[in-house]
Amino acid sequence: MEREVASLEKGAVCCAWNYCGQRIAVGHIDGYVSIHDSHDYPAAPSSSSKWKAHSSSVVKVVWTPPECGDAIACICEDGKFSLWEEIDEDTQCPTWKLCKLFENSGSHVLELQFGVFVTNLKMVAAYSDGHVKVYELMDPLNLDKWQLQAEFQNVLASVSRFGKASCKSASIAWNPHRIESQQSSFVLGFSSDQPQLNSSKIWVFEEAHQRWISVAELALPEDDSDRVHAVAWAPNIGRPFEIIAVATSKGIAIWHVVLDPESDGRLPTEKVALLEGHDGEVWQLEWDMSGMTLASTGSDGIVRLWQSNMNGVWHEQTVLDCNAAQS
Amino acid sequence: MPGRLSDPGADTIVPISLESRQPVVLSLRHGVSAPVFRVYISWSRGSLLHVACLRPPSLEPDGAGDDEEEGGKVVEVRLGTGDGGISEAQMRRIAYGSVPPFVELQSWKNSLASLSMMSSSSFRTEKWQYILEYSRKVNELLKTHQIPPDNVIEDPRIIVKLLKETSSLRAAWELMEIFFIDKQSLSWLPERLVDWLEEYDSLVTRTDLTVYSKLVAMQKKLVDFKVIEDNPDYWEAVSSALAVGWLDTVAKLLRLHGSYQLDQLDDRETENGLVEAVAVLILTMPRLCPDLSSEKIGQCYDTKPDFIKAWEKWRGQVSKLERSAYWVQCSHHQTREGLQKLLKILLGNISNLTSATCHWMELLISHLLYTRPFIMGLEGLNNLAQKCQQLKPTAEYNGLMSLLMGILQESPEAVLAECSRTYGPWMVAHGTELLAAGSDYADIQLHEERYNLGSISIEELHWLVYAQVLSSHPLTWQIASTYLAQCPKQGLGLLEFLLYKQPLQHHQGIFKNLDLSRSYDLDNISASIMKIAGMHHWKHGRKGFGIYWLQLARDEVRLNRIAQQLFEFIGRSLSDDSFQQWEGLIELLGTRVGSSGGLEFLHKYRDLKRLLKQVEDGRAVNAARLAAESLVQLMKSPSTPQQFWLPLLYDSVSLLNWKAQPLLRVSETNLLLNKLQDLSMAKMCPGFVDSNLPSHALSSVRLALAKNLGRAILEEC
Repeated sequence: MEREVASLEKGAVCCAWNYCGQRIAVGHIDGYVSIHDSHDYPAAPSSSSKWKAHSSSVVKVVWTPPECGDAIACICEDGKFSLWEEIDEDTQCPTWKLCKLFENSGSHVLELQFGVFVTNLKMVAAYSDGHVKVYELMDPLNLDKWQLQAEFQNVLASVSRFGKASCKSASIAWNPHRIESQQSSFVLGFSSDQPQLNSSKIWVFEEAHQRWISVAELALPEDDSDRVHAVAWAPNIGRPFEIIAVATSKGIAIWHVVLDPESDGRLPTEKVALLEGHDGEVWQLEWDMSGMTLASTGSDGIVRLWQSNMNGVWHEQTVLDCNAAQS
Repeated sequence: MPGRLSDPGADTIVPISLESRQPVVLSLRHGVSAPVFRVYISWSRGSLLHVACLRPPSLEPDGAGDDEEEGGKVVEVRLGTGDGGISEAQMRRIAYGSVPPFVELQSWKNSLASLSMMSSSSFRTEKWQYILEYSRKVNELLKTHQIPPDNVIEDPRIIVKLLKETSSLRAAWELMEIFFIDKQSLSWLPERLVDWLEEYDSLVTRTDLTVYSKLVAMQKKLVDFKVIEDNPDYWEAVSSALAVGWLDTVAKLLRLHGSYQLDQLDDRETENGLVEAVAVLILTMPRLCPDLSSEKIGQCYDTKPDFIKAWEKWRGQVSKLERSAYWVQCSHHQTREGLQKLLKILLGNISNLTSATCHWMELLISHLLYTRPFIMGLEGLNNLAQKCQQLKPTAEYNGLMSLLMGILQESPEAVLAECSRTYGPWMVAHGTELLAAGSDYADIQLHEERYNLGSISIEELHWLVYAQVLSSHPLTWQIASTYLAQCPKQGLGLLEFLLYKQPLQHHQGIFKNLDLSRSYDLDNISASIMKIAGMHHWKHGRKGFGIYWLQLARDEVRLNRIAQQLFEFIGRSLSDDSFQQWEGLIELLGTRVGSSGGLEFLHKYRDLKRLLKQVEDGRAVNAARLAAESLVQLMKSPSTPQQFWLPLLYDSVSLLNWKAQPLLRVSETNLLLNKLQDLSMAKMCPGFVDSNLPSHALSSVRLALAKNLGRAILEEC
């Protein structure tokens, strides 16, 4: 059922896979980042490269979409983040080069995600003060020229502003749909001391006014703006609705969202399930490529797979226990 | 924790089930010793899940600390490949082999749908034939290769063939074929089931005793028996084999009876006569079936009236023998008892049938043979099966028996669930054709669109699931597209994601991906693949390949940026040695760039720069003329991007200020002035790319053009 694909060095604290799952970027506690390459069957020896990306621990690594080459963003414990890309001028030995270092005085970056669109790459970053920044890549060949396109807070009414928010974590997921005509959109939730910032909201880029607007809130009034620990937007291969999973302390909520706004500009949403099972905080949610199976993992060290049955009832399908004693 | 702990070797994770049930609980063998600090997950292609288990990190360098362990492991978990215990290689063979029959059947159905013939009666008849043919082709694939016997001379003491690698998948497929599509077989259903059990009796249970296991055990002991008929196991084995209708085995066993020996000490003629009489009755047993294969025993009748007549006559003979006075003359007690038991079985004595069989399925078959040979309809069969289950309760219901119960209960939902649970996505994707053919109800259930499933049918859902499983393996992902192409609603959507997730480092992979995306008109994904390939090569020192792919992708944004880089480089380093590299690149591009990339003009610009260099060296007036012509051509050409107009003119100021004579005619100068005008208009539009020229560039170009115009007017007057 399982086979080992890579062995990680001591000090590894976070990792991320590239678009095809063959490359793994690993962040280390000493600020190093390593890249492990695995190959298809038959298993070939994996190659790797390693370099010092930051002076303190790397807490998250994120791959850019493959349309930008092989590049990653590293979020460091000190709140800075950097972009690195693999280049190979003489086709002999590829090296990882720093493209840009983002520093933000006062607040730390908590999470960032890339979304690729017809003409440009967008990057949304969420900060510890509850602010969200959307950057746009100016030169598609170089990852060093970024323009700040928008900055806002994760609230429904664009005029409201909150003063000092203290956020522990943030979760972002772009709409993975690849249709060129579709508007850019992402879902964002916080775990903060400001309840209004916490609940997941869907943000859409309005071309006509060149601005980001929040068009739906994925929380019911009784959810009391629970802290959001993870979000995931399911690939849509042809459903008439989108599926988004949101993890809070209550469990994993499955939302159906129709991307066709009502007269007030809001998107119709429906919470179809609340999946309980993880003992503790949910750390990560991942949809498979058909958007039919949701994988989740959390502080209980268990990977759980969730599916909807023929009647639309969501249930836990498989449990992969990573805590079992290893021989 | 809910759920049951599953057998670690069992591949029981099956995607999408009909009903909600307890989750399958598996322990992941990742090799990282406890405690696990963090677990990261990522879906790869298809249903491959990557799981990284990390140990608590420490700042101590490698080698330091109390142990030498790694920081974590990454494992790949393959999900959803439940396949009824068939090896991976065998399953791949089946996966590839089942593509042609599947495609043939679907093309036939599609062609009929386009002709709107789905409801005509001729269609229905033809449909059975097509589906039966499909089923038989698939059935053929599921056959396992039988190993020929070691000994070519038949040993009379070999009474049962040892079944090697019997395929539960094939047994299940045959059950579905018998009940759902082979309409002809419904008339002789009991006989079809007798044949089925003969082949697959070893699979009806994994834990309980069966007639097959009893016979195998008896065969092993056979050599040790001195007087076979004295042994109760012998008579028990004969009764059991007779109860389930394995008449050839019974005949073989009876012929081993001691009374057939030539060197008889006692007078055993009557005993031998009775054994032979029972054997003859068994050999002439009437069977309701179209024909008997050469290995089978019995008298075959293909019409019910003929069969009834023969059946009554034959039973009369059995009864007569049972009441015969010869039994008194048979002195061998075990033989008398054993033979009489056999006659009771032939006469359908329920208590004898029950004691001779082990499993409820065997009891059911014995009833079909000896008490209810005319049973028709699934309802009657289901009632009988339930009675047999009460008489022979079993602790374990394996997948095959659950499937049979689902069929007998006429529940397509239960059949699908069992196919999915026990045999996995291949069986469901292919077996739905048989199930849909079984009844109108099943057909509607399978083809009805359901909002909960994203407005697709159950059939499409299972094709999607199977395609996802195929796409998890590098050796089978390519055939996933065949199944996705048959999905009317979501197949191509999934194919797009599948193609997007393929690794694109090698040309072979890129071409394969492009072939597939072109075959299904997925232009968006073709463009994405080419962009990804283009950027990968561009960034990895293969700039020519990079440009080639970006041109094919018609990625104007990136090509314009490359053009800008090349333009700047050519302008800067014409005399530089490294120009050779860029020159080669431009040569490579040739004129194939077309209007999309805007790189064709670079070729001409390179020529212009060469001519300008000659002009600067003061070598020739002709060079200046040619340069001016080249400039006009470049400015006229629609492939010269607007952002390069001013740099081109600024580079050519020396031509515009040519002292000896004006090099541009009035019309040409006006054209250039108009271009300059267009440029100042374009500055106000969004998306304008400004050139990095000194601020006085525009005014010096304008002045030079004015000078040239003035002198040209004077000359042309």
